[in-house]
Amino acid sequence: MDSDIIIKVENVHVSFWQNNVGVYSIKDLITQHKMPFKTKTILNNISVDVRRGESLGIVGRNGSGKSTLLRTIAGIIKPDKGKITVNGTFAPILALGAGLESELTGYENISLLLALYGRVKVNSNAIESIKEFSELSDEVLCMPVKQYSSGMVARLAFSISLANESDILIIDEVLAVGDQGFQAKCMDKIFQIKAQGKTILFVSHFPEYVAKICNNAIMLDHGELIHRGTSEEIAENYRQLF
Amino acid sequence: MQSINKIHNVQNITRIYALSKRNVILRYKNSLIGFFWGFFKPLLYLFIFIVIFKDNPNAPPNYILFVTSGLILWFFFSNVTGQAVGSIVGSAGLLKSLNIPAYFFPLSETISELFNLLLTLVVFLFIMNWFGIVYSPRILLVIPLIFLFAIFSLGLNLFLCSINVFFRDVGIIWNTIQPALFFLTPIGYRELPGKYKFIMDCNPIYYFIKVGRDTLCEPIVPSWHDWRNCIIISVGMYLAGQFVFNRLKNQFISAI
Repeated sequence: MDSDIIIKVENVHVSFWQNNVGVYSIKDLITQHKMPFKTKTILNNISVDVRRGESLGIVGRNGSGKSTLLRTIAGIIKPDKGKITVNGTFAPILALGAGLESELTGYENISLLLALYGRVKVNSNAIESIKEFSELSDEVLCMPVKQYSSGMVARLAFSISLANESDILIIDEVLAVGDQGFQAKCMDKIFQIKAQGKTILFVSHFPEYVAKICNNAIMLDHGELIHRGTSEEIAENYRQLF
Repeated sequence: MQSINKIHNVQNITRIYALSKRNVILRYKNSLIGFFWGFFKPLLYLFIFIVIFKDNPNAPPNYILFVTSGLILWFFFSNVTGQAVGSIVGSAGLLKSLNIPAYFFPLSETISELFNLLLTLVVFLFIMNWFGIVYSPRILLVIPLIFLFAIFSLGLNLFLCSINVFFRDVGIIWNTIQPALFFLTPIGYRELPGKYKFIMDCNPIYYFIKVGRDTLCEPIVPSWHDWRNCIIISVGMYLAGQFVFNRLKNQFISAI
């Protein structure tokens, strides 16, 4: 394998069990005499290579399989067919409120998530830098996350996720929340990460972000890869969809 | 045993520890008397049993001790399965954003409940000492028993939590049949009478309660025969639970 290629996705096929309409409990299973599940194809024969340091944008309508592709690449979903080879480490997928425990305080969430990301020792430096980047005050971080506004949740999730030293950053539509100041700060940070030569996978419904952040992009539709090209081309294609 | 092999590294031990700690924090968060809830329920049941059976001439000697030791083990089982049944569904956010084995969630529920059980046991031993009961080193036999009981519970947890992903009423069904199981388990009495004895023999929890009670309060050492039953049941339950879990785990993400 070319050592320059950090993620190699070959003919990946993912399907889910989908609940047959109306069978959601054992009671339904007994009373309705239907098979509870049918198989639904989510990703069909996807092949993508991502080079080290490249930023790949992924666009497509709702339900076209973007998040599933990200999760499959990150190893969270196992493909039915095909092969995924990754030559680096992942930061956790950055999605809205991902993994934050709403009953726990900000601080408790930080130490829980850092441990789950695989940090064996959490030093106060890491917590301090998260706190600094998120611009959340001590008082806020001592509150349970359920009392946060959606912007505050995004700040915390983004800051924790970025605190991790990893080769590949996966961003799933998170820049939409947070105020303008924080959005700009996140963009700066993303460019900074890019400049460090890290790889970024970026899902967004804003073509201008995709064009700005990514080198190349792909477009998915109903689980099929229908276009690939430079991020400007794909952003333009995506605009024409609507 | 492939899931067990994954635990053999420091990162994963840190993860399991962090999840178990989260469970302990969450359980007592926003509660009035926190950890003491763990005693409150067994105490209430103990009170009920004493009221019902106090004049029964067939009641075992040391009746309070007899019931309490059974109750402590029962509530470990009841709490751990009740908590773990929703552990996969409740961790949707983490499972969808992090590549971490789903197995860790029922496992950490079991570990955090084991921690509670140990605290309860320590308090129990102090109270019993205060009542004038002198313990012999034989009481240490409770450690392997708890270990086996935890393996059994973990197996059942793996089964329950994975089925619950696809049929959300499994948790409700389980919590509904638990009281029946409670009264069919010899906790307030020694054995079911003759013609109902087969029900007791079919109840896997009976074997653990029996050995646990033997070590905690009866003047007898549990026989090898009893130990063998516990080992077979716990290993069997674990393997069955893991089999079901492994068959279903690849579909968790799409269903939670």
